[in-house]
Amino acid sequence: MATKENIQNLNELFAEEIEAAIRYLHLSVTVKGLDRLLVHKVLLEYMQKTLDHARSVADKIVHLGGIPSLDLKLNLPPQKTTATDAVRTALTFEQAGLDAYRDLLENIVDDVPLEEFVRAQVGLESQHVAELSLLLEE
Amino acid sequence: MDSWKSFERNPITHSAAHHVVAIADLLDAFGYARVSDVARMLDITRGSVSVTLKNLKQRGLVVEDERRFLGLSDRGKEIALALRAKKRVILKLLVEVLGVDEDQADEDTCKIEHLISNDTAGRVIRFLRFLSSDEPRAASFLEAFRDFTAECGHDPKSCPCCEDVCLSDQVSSIDEQL
Repeated sequence: MATKENIQNLNELFAEEIEAAIRYLHLSVTVKGLDRLLVHKVLLEYMQKTLDHARSVADKIVHLGGIPSLDLKLNLPPQKTTATDAVRTALTFEQAGLDAYRDLLENIVDDVPLEEFVRAQVGLESQHVAELSLLLEE
Repeated sequence: MDSWKSFERNPITHSAAHHVVAIADLLDAFGYARVSDVARMLDITRGSVSVTLKNLKQRGLVVEDERRFLGLSDRGKEIALALRAKKRVILKLLVEVLGVDEDQADEDTCKIEHLISNDTAGRVIRFLRFLSSDEPRAASFLEAFRDFTAECGHDPKSCPCCEDVCLSDQVSSIDEQL
């Protein structure tokens, strides 16, 4: 796969990560009542981890000679949420991010460092998905 | 005066409407639809698509099989068909009757399609049927409208359309992006 395509794919992942971080922040402040005690801190921790992922992706884009770009279309309505629903929503977009990394991994040709990078990201995202799934278990 | 609140009571949000139609379009074009396909079609992130679909799945409009391929329930299909029909109707009105530029008409239609009531859409269809009928007055009506070139005099007192203010001035007084 050409470097240009790799950069484009990484820019899409950069957007996924930044958007996920914003969603974590929004979820953390829309959980009300006693539920807030349960997940507020956890969601903010995930936000920070997700921002770290975004920075890693952006660094990778720069290493490949590209410039990170963002075109977000995000609408987060003012809606209270419960701890369970916040975690369910987080699991939904984390799973989507994991799928995006997996798809990219399948399509990388002749770029071992990028492949290794994406493989590591798949590991990290899988861990997020597993941790969030655990929180939803009865 | 409370009609603006009906936007929030709409059975489907603007964004959700686009997701439903995108799935229907993908199914028609390729026979399958995945989250990544919808994201590419709507030019948004997969995370965003997944969060919207989570709600649509809960409401029974979108279904997903074990291989994560997307489909529409019977109700979802009905909504997609209705939205497409409303889009065609409004687009036809704007382009063929009012002469709006196609790109502009497409953009405006996108904002209207899921908000107009079935009754209004039905009346627009009736109007379009009249215009394209064999009724001689229909052809002359359309011809007269197309030939009507009188400029707005910006004088509400002498205007048969406006009453107390120049509607044309007021429409163009706000930022287009509002």
